[in-house]
Amino acid sequence: MKNTLSQIVLFTSKFNKTHLQFIMMLLALTMLVLGAGAPEDIGGVGK
Amino acid sequence: MILLVAVVAGTIAGWGIARWKRQTWHPPSFQSLWLVFLGFLPQFIVFYLPVTRQLVTDDLASLSLVCSQVILMIFAWKNLHLSGMPVLIFGLGCNLVVILVNGGFMPLVAETAARIVEPHVMDRLVIGARLGKASKDILLPESQILLPWLADRFISPKLSSYRAVYSLGDVFVAVGAFWMLANRHSTTAPSVGDSL
Repeated sequence: MKNTLSQIVLFTSKFNKTHLQFIMMLLALTMLVLGAGAPEDIGGVGK
Repeated sequence: MILLVAVVAGTIAGWGIARWKRQTWHPPSFQSLWLVFLGFLPQFIVFYLPVTRQLVTDDLASLSLVCSQVILMIFAWKNLHLSGMPVLIFGLGCNLVVILVNGGFMPLVAETAARIVEPHVMDRLVIGARLGKASKDILLPESQILLPWLADRFISPKLSSYRAVYSLGDVFVAVGAFWMLANRHSTTAPSVGDSL
């Protein structure tokens, strides 16, 4: 239990501002391309 | 799906090139980030969220799509300085124009759909109607489409049962996004948080 807790603390300390910024940028760009584009996915019904 | 491939490929390429050149990869720094969330929200509600998209009429869906793309265009224009963004804006502009002149949805060329969709599925599709509640497309014969070369008419390679039909605008959006991410390797570029 103590070991797990220390691992969580270690993970969150490594998860710094840069990682958060990267995730936000990726999220924003994903929303931009999904919103800007209009392809039609025809999954599973193609010839 | 095909647009997400461009984002993933651009991220990997940008990170890989930076690593190969022994430089630091910096993700793009967006200004007015809130605009992209505001712009995507109508599409998320109308096309992506299963609970809400069933409740939305076609007229409202069409209006939401156009408003959403206009807001995304403003966001993109505010970030014009980023490499790749002019290409992405051109693609968004192509899609927005063809959507506007064809009644508020992206036209899907019926002849193209018939090439990749099984006949029994094709029989169920109605000319002039949306393909489904999750779709931004309406099915139209090429002769009835205004600016047909900007419509969804290109077919993705047959790599699996998954196929997609995309427009020229989608190609520019994908290339712009890829270029934006792949060309971000320097030691002096600002980080994304500077403008948040």
